Amino acid sequence: MKVIRRTILDKAFTAITALPVVLLVAALLVILTPMLWRGAGAVLFEGTVEWRKMQLAEFGHGDEAGIRAEADQAQAARAAVYEMIDKFKSGVDAEQLTDRAKEIYRGFGKELQRKDVPREQYTMLRSLSREIRDKLETAFSSSDIGQMRELTNDVLQYETDDRFKGTIAREFFPLARKYQEAAATVNLNKRSEYARDLAELEQIIRDIFGPRPMEESPALAQFRYGATRWDQAQDLLFRLLWKEEWVEKQPGQPLVKIAASRKEQFAETELKGMFDLVENNLGRMLNPKWTFYWRYFTDDSTPGHYFGGIGPEILGTLILTILSMAFVVPLGLISAAYLTERTHEGPVIRIIRMCINTLAGVPSIVFGLFGMAFFVLFFLPLFGAPSKPCILAGSLTLAVLTLPVMIRSSEEAIRTVPQTYKEASLALGASKFRTFVTVTLPVALPGILTGVILSLSRVAGETAPILFTAGIAVGPVPKSLLQTTRTLSYGSWDMAVADKLAALVPHNQYGMVVTLVLLILCLNALAIVIRSRVLKRLKGH
Amino acid sequence: MNGHRSEQIGAPATGFQQPLVLTYGQDVKGYLFKHVGRLALLALTCTSVMAVLLIFLFVILEALPFLGKFSIVEFLTSTAWYPQAHQKPEFGALALVAGSVYVTAASLFFSAPIGVLAAIFLSDIVSFEVRNVVKPVIEVLAAIPSVAYGFFAVLVLAPWMQKHLGFATGTNALNAALLLSIMALPTIISVAEDSISATGRELREASYALGATRVETMFKVVIPAAHSGIIAGVVLGMMRAIGETMVVWMASGNASQIPHPWWDLSQSVRTMTATIAGDMGETEKGSDHYRALFAIGLLLLVMTFLLNIMSEYFLTRAKKSLGRS
Repeated sequence: MKVIRRTILDKAFTAITALPVVLLVAALLVILTPMLWRGAGAVLFEGTVEWRKMQLAEFGHGDEAGIRAEADQAQAARAAVYEMIDKFKSGVDAEQLTDRAKEIYRGFGKELQRKDVPREQYTMLRSLSREIRDKLETAFSSSDIGQMRELTNDVLQYETDDRFKGTIAREFFPLARKYQEAAATVNLNKRSEYARDLAELEQIIRDIFGPRPMEESPALAQFRYGATRWDQAQDLLFRLLWKEEWVEKQPGQPLVKIAASRKEQFAETELKGMFDLVENNLGRMLNPKWTFYWRYFTDDSTPGHYFGGIGPEILGTLILTILSMAFVVPLGLISAAYLTERTHEGPVIRIIRMCINTLAGVPSIVFGLFGMAFFVLFFLPLFGAPSKPCILAGSLTLAVLTLPVMIRSSEEAIRTVPQTYKEASLALGASKFRTFVTVTLPVALPGILTGVILSLSRVAGETAPILFTAGIAVGPVPKSLLQTTRTLSYGSWDMAVADKLAALVPHNQYGMVVTLVLLILCLNALAIVIRSRVLKRLKGH
Repeated sequence: MNGHRSEQIGAPATGFQQPLVLTYGQDVKGYLFKHVGRLALLALTCTSVMAVLLIFLFVILEALPFLGKFSIVEFLTSTAWYPQAHQKPEFGALALVAGSVYVTAASLFFSAPIGVLAAIFLSDIVSFEVRNVVKPVIEVLAAIPSVAYGFFAVLVLAPWMQKHLGFATGTNALNAALLLSIMALPTIISVAEDSISATGRELREASYALGATRVETMFKVVIPAAHSGIIAGVVLGMMRAIGETMVVWMASGNASQIPHPWWDLSQSVRTMTATIAGDMGETEKGSDHYRALFAIGLLLLVMTFLLNIMSEYFLTRAKKSLGRS
């Protein structure tokens, strides 16, 4: 009995130990898969004509004539939608109509003053036009169809009046007529509701198609274009067709979210055809095409990374890492050489080793503090450089951070070189220095290279040390080493947390972080490959 | 090719005709070259020592005026952290220290057992081939930059927690602790596995020979023998977790409070590292707030330094005990 229990316990334990590894693999998949999947959307997607327009206008990429022709075609398809909206709007938007009537009235008054008409006639025409205006205003805001018709008819009887001929005031009549026609098809009781929803509809249409052709281009880049991506357009189409509503299904129950069809809501109006029109012809209106946006890795971006790529971030990351490597590789190599060549461990070596270990344990944010206090505020001013965060300070900080990694990996690489090699070289009369440079170093080089690559990948991913020493989220591409730079790591943080605009473009958020992760994983894969080759070669001996 | 080689071999022959005695000048030159060279190398090697000294020096220098102006006791015991208050700014770092300790302890709660089990799995249970598959996975987990983990915490895990676990906020101590434990795992696994596989075959074979099952061998023989190394691994993992900035800054919610009740991981906390990272951008250089952040940095530095000494103590002990067995 006891044996059975022990065996069961043993098997159970074996099974349980496999669990953590399964968990780790699962964690890796859970973290990387959504990132890779959504990040791929930054470079591979269905771009619409709006996207191509944006690329042309913001970055100067693409064939100008072709894109213009395509945009005109799309615009022709959209014209019907705009027409329907305008027509419906003229019957619904009481506020706008009232404003228009007031404007005509004022314009007429000014015209009369300019013309210098006799006083009695002026007063008479003025009061008449005021009467017309008031009638129209009442008609616009009335919800009684009979009253509305009566009032507009009243106004329209002046249409043939000679006194208004050739003046601004004659514009009252088309306004009245149009309204009479439009209002006949609209349920006037629902007008305020329509007006509210219409504003929403117009906004969605604007989000899909961008500003109308005649409109002034907005100042902010993200409002200048419609849906640049087909999936974005699909989402907007859904919002166009369905209205999100919170309703109380049963009294006392929490509100439930439902999607109400707008087509039904506007069923009895002029707008009813618009929904089908957009739904069925969205493809023609936007002309989506599969796009491989390789320029994502070289393009600059508009504020908030709303449009464009991550070129400056990649450049900044490369500059920072390569510069810090230039500092740390010689230093790390010399330290490693010194530490391995000293065969007996005296107190000096012990102290140095302890310091390397301590350095490896210092939190990255403390490196950031140190970099700011030492390199930015103390070291750079010594040489007359401005005491501001810059690439030089950042790469020096990163070099100090990665020094222990570099020393340890080079030391390991140098130690794997068989002692017999060195002895053979020394026996031939070569000096220690010469032996190291011509015998040990070449043999250890692949291993050292692995260390360099691993340090590189560590440096590329660090964010905390460059927070106060080199990184910025938005800014120009640096022209010298004494300027700040954007980096992939800092940008990933900024887009995830700080930049509210970036939350609207998840593909760009994920694109940035995936580029960083892939860069680092590729470097690591390279290191693993080199290391396995070295191991194979060493086994051969 | 052939001719070239024979020339090379022939060349030194003429050199041997000269006497092999160095002149006095050559002797001195060689002596100086050797020792000056060695000193230069030593000096370069001491860059690490310099760096450590400079880090301590500059962090202390920047923090010192603060420690002189405000009471250290209050700094360490008050939970009121209102550095930007106009009337009377308060710098009580207890809540921040508690936040750091909180997420670190929670992450170790997950990662220590998982890490040790994974180390046993890798060293004693699976074949060499499986190991070669699992090891790169762990290396990849270690290589992913912390900002990417933070990104995942904010954009994927936090909304999920809020939706499916019903937490008030998705960015909370649990979120940070989960990601920290993933980040600490590679360290714990590799150090623990090293020390477990370093306990000799003889120990295990002796145990099996006495009729013990694998679980008994592991818990009664191998783990006690390797406990120093395992502790060292956990301490190193703790160091990684307590010094981590980006993940906790992004995932922990940054509310300067001690959760109440204490076991409620679904509340937001704020750690020391996140405070430094978050506040430094808004402070004026040389202000009290700026110096207070350096004081927090100093505290952090001292904590990691002590942990480092601890891990080294355990690692040396592990080395010694294994050498004896």
